[in-house]
Amino acid sequence: MNSSNGNGSMSTASSSGAWDGRDQFPAGLRVLVVDDDPTCLMIFEKMLKTCLYQVTKCNKAETALSVLREHKNGFDIVISDVHMPDMDGFELLKHIDSEMDLPVILISADATKQIVMKGVTYGACDYLIKPVRIETLKNIWQHVVRKKARNTV
Amino acid sequence: MDVVNQLQRQFIDYSASLHREGFLDDQFTQLQKLQDDNSPDFVVEVASLFFEDCEKLINNMARALEQQQGVDFKQVDASVHQLKGSSSSIGAMRVKDVCIAFRSFCEAQNREGCLRCLQQVTHEYSLLKNKLQTLFRLQQQILAAGGSIPVVE
Repeated sequence: MNSSNGNGSMSTASSSGAWDGRDQFPAGLRVLVVDDDPTCLMIFEKMLKTCLYQVTKCNKAETALSVLREHKNGFDIVISDVHMPDMDGFELLKHIDSEMDLPVILISADATKQIVMKGVTYGACDYLIKPVRIETLKNIWQHVVRKKARNTV
Repeated sequence: MDVVNQLQRQFIDYSASLHREGFLDDQFTQLQKLQDDNSPDFVVEVASLFFEDCEKLINNMARALEQQQGVDFKQVDASVHQLKGSSSSIGAMRVKDVCIAFRSFCEAQNREGCLRCLQQVTHEYSLLKNKLQTLFRLQQQILAAGGSIPVVE
């Protein structure tokens, strides 16, 4: 696994550049998690930190978008709830897709086939149903690697 | 030491009964496992957040259902949906189950059904709050007596 992503260094206190070349892979995965539900947000943060990921949390899609724009190449993956007031997960996904090249995982308490289909068609790399277990979050690094591999082809 | 054993026994029994009676499910156990030295009050904090949020959502639902001119079922549903997400994430099984029924009534635009569910969800939330407060009190007593909280599978 070569860390060829050298473009842009981060101004935040965390790591700069790619995380996948380091020894502690996948620890240090830089995750942005977005959910307007404070209970869920707190649980996600704890779970992701337990996975040894670097977590940034937002309770609004607009805030998440600003953070992503301000820190290009500062994140490896975005996890977002679908149902949020103002901007929802689908819209956020569309923005991210057009402006950046980041894998996005959608989460919801809704498990209807239609909505999962919508998520997948919109380009979410995965659609998780609440309650999310830590075992699922332990595997999300695969989406980052998969996307990078596809881009290199 | 005897006091600690007694308290621990009480804690285990009480925990088991909460699971048996459906108040809590495995997701709650997941949260307990996440608690560590870095966040020794994690479960209590998440529970407090949940109860705060629960009250807010229940009030939203009540207000929306009170509208004499015509209930905005979409608004009610949005609150129920969020409560379903947070209750399932914390392991509040009975609250979550009422939310599932509640959503069907919202979809059917059945005001009576919704009002019944609102009553039920308020009831389940109070019950759970009391029970968890008892559980947390037992935890405090164990810790105060110098013991450690047993992990209940």
